Amino acid sequence: MAFSLSDLAKRSVFRSVIYSLLVFLLGAVSGAADEGDRPIHFVNDVVPVLTKAGCNAGVCHAKQGGGQKGFQLSLLGFEPLEDFESLVKDGRGRRLFSAAPEQSLVLRKATGETPHGGGTRIARNSESYALLRNWIEQGATFGSAAAPKLVSIEVQPDRGLVQMGADQQLKALAQFSDGSVRDVTSMALYESNSDAMATVSENGLVSVLDLPGKVAVMVRYQGQVSVFTAAVPLGATVGSLPKAKNFVDKHVFANLKQLGIPPSPVCDDVTFLRRVTLDIAGRLPTEEEVTAFHKETNGDKRDQVIDRLLRSPQYADYFASKWTPLLKNRRDATSDITANFAFHAWIRDSLLANVSYDQIVRELLAATGTVVENPPVAWYKRVKDPKAQLEDIAQLFLGVRMQCAQCHHHPFERWSQDDYYSLAAFFSQIGRKPTATAGEDLIFHKRGRATAKNVKTGVSLKPVALGDDVGNIAADEDPRLRLANWMSSKENPFFAKALVNRYWKHFFKRALIEPEDDIRDTNPPTNPELLAALEEHFINSGFDLKELVRVITRSQTYQLSSQPNEHNLSDRQNYSRFYPRRMPAEVLLDSIDDLTGASTSFANLPTGTRAIALPDNSYNKSSAFLKVFGRPNSASVCECERVQSSSLAQSLHLINSSQVKSKLAGGNGRAARLAKAKMPTEQKIAELYLVAFSREPRPGELKTAMDYLSEPLIDANGKPIAASTAAATNFQDLIWALMNTKEFLFNH
Amino acid sequence: MTDQFHASSAAPCLGPQARRGFLKMGLAGFASLSLPDVLRLRAESAPDNGQEKKAVILVWQPGGCSHLDTYDPKPNATSEYRGPFATIPTNVPGMEFSELLPLQAKIADKIAVLRSMRHGSAGHSPGTMRMLAGDPDTRAKESPKYPDYMTVTKYLRSKEGPRTNPLPSYVSINGPRGRIGPAYLGEAYSSFAVTGDPNKPNFVVPNIGLSNLAEVKRLGRRASLRQNLDTLERAFDQAGELKALDEFETQAMTLLTNAKTKYAFDLNNEDDRTRDRYGRNTWGQQLLMTRRLVEAGVDMLSTSLSGPLCGRVNNWDDHAVNHHVFDAMRFRSQAYDQAVSALIEDIYERGLDKRVLVVVTGEFGRTPKISYQPSTGAGNASSPAGTKQPGRDHWPRGFSNIWAGGGIETGRFIGATDKLGEDSIERVCGAGDFLATIYHHLGIDSSKVLLRDFNGRPTSIVVDPGKPIPELMG
Repeated sequence: MAFSLSDLAKRSVFRSVIYSLLVFLLGAVSGAADEGDRPIHFVNDVVPVLTKAGCNAGVCHAKQGGGQKGFQLSLLGFEPLEDFESLVKDGRGRRLFSAAPEQSLVLRKATGETPHGGGTRIARNSESYALLRNWIEQGATFGSAAAPKLVSIEVQPDRGLVQMGADQQLKALAQFSDGSVRDVTSMALYESNSDAMATVSENGLVSVLDLPGKVAVMVRYQGQVSVFTAAVPLGATVGSLPKAKNFVDKHVFANLKQLGIPPSPVCDDVTFLRRVTLDIAGRLPTEEEVTAFHKETNGDKRDQVIDRLLRSPQYADYFASKWTPLLKNRRDATSDITANFAFHAWIRDSLLANVSYDQIVRELLAATGTVVENPPVAWYKRVKDPKAQLEDIAQLFLGVRMQCAQCHHHPFERWSQDDYYSLAAFFSQIGRKPTATAGEDLIFHKRGRATAKNVKTGVSLKPVALGDDVGNIAADEDPRLRLANWMSSKENPFFAKALVNRYWKHFFKRALIEPEDDIRDTNPPTNPELLAALEEHFINSGFDLKELVRVITRSQTYQLSSQPNEHNLSDRQNYSRFYPRRMPAEVLLDSIDDLTGASTSFANLPTGTRAIALPDNSYNKSSAFLKVFGRPNSASVCECERVQSSSLAQSLHLINSSQVKSKLAGGNGRAARLAKAKMPTEQKIAELYLVAFSREPRPGELKTAMDYLSEPLIDANGKPIAASTAAATNFQDLIWALMNTKEFLFNH
Repeated sequence: MTDQFHASSAAPCLGPQARRGFLKMGLAGFASLSLPDVLRLRAESAPDNGQEKKAVILVWQPGGCSHLDTYDPKPNATSEYRGPFATIPTNVPGMEFSELLPLQAKIADKIAVLRSMRHGSAGHSPGTMRMLAGDPDTRAKESPKYPDYMTVTKYLRSKEGPRTNPLPSYVSINGPRGRIGPAYLGEAYSSFAVTGDPNKPNFVVPNIGLSNLAEVKRLGRRASLRQNLDTLERAFDQAGELKALDEFETQAMTLLTNAKTKYAFDLNNEDDRTRDRYGRNTWGQQLLMTRRLVEAGVDMLSTSLSGPLCGRVNNWDDHAVNHHVFDAMRFRSQAYDQAVSALIEDIYERGLDKRVLVVVTGEFGRTPKISYQPSTGAGNASSPAGTKQPGRDHWPRGFSNIWAGGGIETGRFIGATDKLGEDSIERVCGAGDFLATIYHHLGIDSSKVLLRDFNGRPTSIVVDPGKPIPELMG
C-alpha cells in the first residue's frame, strides 16, 4: 500500500482510500493487492452508484423517458460516456461543484436537501454519498482508460434449497479484466421473478415466502446479469404417485418428489372428457359423447378420445383461433375480408392436415406472391415495417423480446442494438407491388444484398440470427429462407422451446417459463428437465403439433384432478393438480349456444358457424359478448391480449344481457323444447346436466331442480301463470342457473 | 392486467413481465346471495358518497368545434376568415365570446378558456387518440394503442383498494367510443356505457335497478336456485379468480337490484325546473345525468354532444360537403350553450366545483379560412346536394377548449392564437399538457406513472410529452 504525503494531505482522498479499503475488507475478497489505491473511476465506481440509486431509471433521468428537468442519463447506465458529459459538462456545470462538493446539485438533489421530484435517493451518511462526494472533490474525472473493465458478475450461491420462511444472503462478485474480483453486493440490483414466492432486499437478502416451487432472483450490475435459483420445498411426504404414463409424468413427478408436494389423484372419466374436449376442440362434449364414453370399457379409452379429437375439424378451428390473432389477421378495412378469410383458411387447413410446425413457419416467414395464390403473404400486409416484422417473429416463434434493443441495451437481455439490426437485415429485401386485389401487395424478394443500418452507430449490418452467423447470402437469394433454415434447425436453442412452452401453457394455464414468450437466461424455467424433454420430443417428432398435444394430454399430469389435497393447495407452478381456468370468449359463447339451444349468426358466414371458427377480429365489433369476454383484437403478438380475467361487464352480460335472455327464451331453444317434451322431468334435468357439466345430476341437485320446476308461478297481479308458460319460464331459470355456475364457466 | 409502478420504487425498470395481477376482494360472493339478500340489497341505503375522489366530466365535441365561431372570435379578421357571428361581452371585462354563447357569456367568470391548444394530428381518430390518450401517432388507426385517461384512472384507482360505492367508477353517457378505450389494460377497465336518449320519457338505463318488480323477483329466484346448484369445490382457487368473479357478480346484482343505484341514474328524480334549465333535449339531459352521477360518487364521466342536434351528419365535422358551417353552428348553439352553462352553474351551486373538473373540447378546431364546396346532401344545416356552401375543415394548429370547476382560477383566457386564429402563438399547449393537467386534478403525476403494455414494456400514460398547465391547476 503506497501513497504519497501530498495525497495524504488531501483528507478526502484518504477517506476514499479508507472507504475502499473498508469495502474491500468487509467483502473479504481476495482481489488484487492494490485495490485500496484505486482512484475513483467514473464507469466502475460512479455509474453503479447512480444505477443503484435509480437515477437513470426510465421515469427519472433516463433519456428514453425524457430525462426529468433536463438532466439526461442513458437508461440504466449503458452509455457511460454520454452520462459523463451530461453530469460533468451539461447543466452549465452546476451539477458538480468541486470547490464545495457538498453543494453540488447532484448531491443536494439526491439527498433531498434541495427539493427533488424523485425524493431522497441517497443518505448523507452512506457509502454512495461519500463516493460521489470524493469523486467530485477529486475533480470529477472520467478515470483512466487503462482501468480494468468489468467482465462478468457471479452470484454466490447460484442455486440452493431454501425452506419456506427462511432467508438466504446473496453475494455479488464482479470480475474485472485484470483478474481482480470485487464484492459488489451492496451496489448490485436484485429482482425476484415472483414476488409471491420470494422477496429480495436492496442488499441481496432473499426472503422466501410460503409457496413451493422454483424462484429465481436476478442480480444485475453494470449491464452484467447473473441468476440465483432457489428450490422451495413443501416438504410433505409424497406417497403413492399415479403410474407415469410418459416422460412428462416422469419429470413432473420427480420435481414433485424433490419439493415434497403430493399430487392430487387422477380425475374421473367425465371430468377428463370435458376437460380434454374443451382444450383440444374448444367445445363441450355432446350428450351422446358423454354417454358413450361412460359406457366404453376399453382400457385406453382416454387415449382414443384424444386421437378422435385431434382428427376433428374443431381441433383445427380452435387452434387457428389461437394463432390468427397472434399473426394479426386483422380487418382494418372492409376490403381486407379476402385476405382475412384466405389467411385463416391457410392456418386452419395446415393445422387440420398437421403440416409440421417448421413448415408452417417457413411458409409464413418466407412468403412470396399474392394473397390469393399464397395466403400467408397477408402477414406482410398486417406487419409492414421490417422492425415490427423482426420483433413479431422473434417474440412469437423464438420467445425472444427484441423491442427494447431497438433503442437501448436491455438490462436483462444479452441482445444489443447490433443484434437487433442484424435481425432486421433479414427483412430488408422485401419487395412489394400492387395487385388486382384492392389493398393487397404482391410480395417478392427484391434482388440485392440484405443489410440494415444500426441507427445509433450508423454501421450497415448483414443478416445475423441472434449472434449466429448464417453465412454470406447472395443477392439473388431471399434472406428470409436462411432465417427459416436457422430457426428450424435441430440445434436452434429457441424455436422448439418457445413452441412447447406456449403449448404447455395452453393445457396447464401456466407456462414452464412465464410469460411464455419471454425466454432468456435470467428467466429460468420452473422445470428445466421437463422443458428440455418436451423440446427434444417435439424436434424428434419432426415438429409434429398433434403429437405434442397427444403427449401432453395423455400424461397423468394433465389428467390430475383440480381438487387440491391437504398439501398442494398453495401449488401454482408445479402441476400437482389441474389449475382451472375460465373458458375463452369464443368457447364460452359456443357453449352457451349449445346449452340454450340457440345459435349466434355472424356476418358473411354461413348459419351455424361457431365462434371458434371466426376468421378475424371484425366480429368482436358486432358481438358485444366476444368483446366483453376478451377475444383479442389481433393487435399484439402477445397472448396476453386475450383477456381471461373477469369484469363487471361480463357478470352483467351473463346475468342480464338481452343477448343471453333471448338465447334462453328462444322459441326453438332448449328451454322451450324441454318444457313441451313428453318425458319424465328427471330425464330433462339429466339432459341439462349432461350438456352443461358432462355428468349426471347428484340426488340433491336433482331434488332442488325438481322442486324448482314444480313451483307454481304467479304474475305481477298475483294471478297464477298458465302451466305451460310457467314450465318454459322455469326451464329458462334452471338453464340460467346452470350457466352461471363456476362449474359451467370454468374448465376444471 | 399490467403492473404499475412509480418513480419512487427502488428499481423502477422491472423489464418484461407477465401481465398478471388479480383483484383484491372485499365483498361476499354472488353464490351466497339468496332471494332475501337480493331484496335487502335493493333496499339498502344510499351509495356512500362520502368517498370524495376527484372527478372529471368530459364533454366531447366529436368532429371538432370551430374555435373562431365560439371562444376565439376574430372580429377584425377579413371576411374570408371571420364568419357571420358578432362578438359579445361576457360578465368578465375584456373576455368576449361569439354571440352563439349568450348563456356561457353570463357565467364566463366560472370558465377558463384555453385558447392556445396545438397538436399535429389532423384526423379524427388520431386527434381523438392524441387528446384523450396522449398518442402522438398522427396516422389513422382502427383501435387505440394506448388507454385513454379515464380507463387509466379507473385502473390506477382500482389498485388502491376495492370500491365501496356500488356505482361504477367510470360511466360514459353516449360518450366517445371506439377511438378510445382501455387498450392493453383490458376490457375490465372500460366504461359502464349508457346509450340512448335520456330525454325520451321512456328512457331507462339497461342493467340498472330493474324497474319491474316481477323481474327482480325472478332474478332473486334464479340467484337462489343457482346458489343451491353451484356446488363445485372452490378450494382450488388460490389465484383469487373465483373471488374476483364473485365480487363482480355481487356488484352486478347490486346494480341490477339496488333501488338507490337506480335512483342515481333516474332523471325523473330531478325537479322539472332543473331538467328545463339543462334543456329538454338529448344533450341537456346527458349533461344533467353526468352531474347526478358525479354527485352520487362516479369519478370519471364522459359524454359526447353528437346526434341530430349537431345537424345532418350528427357531429361537429363542418366541412362544406357535410354542413353549412355557420348554419350548423347556429343550429346546435342553443342546445349546446344551454346545456354547458347549466352544468357549469350547477356544479358551482352544489359545491362540487373543487372536486369536479368540467372540460369541454373536441379533437381539434376548424380551419379559420372558410372553404366553399358543393354540399353532398340536404338536411339540417346543409343545403341541397350540389349547392356551394361554406365549411371549415380540420384544424389542430390552434384551437380552444374550456375548463370549469376543479378548484381552478376561472374567468379568464389562457393563451392566444394569431390574429387570424390560425396558429397558437402564446402559451402554446399540446395534448400532453392537456392530459397532464387533467391527471393532475385526479391526483396522478403523469410524468411518473408507467404501465406495462402487451409486451411488458413500461409505457408512459401520456406518451405525447407534456406538463400540467399551471394556470389550470387547482
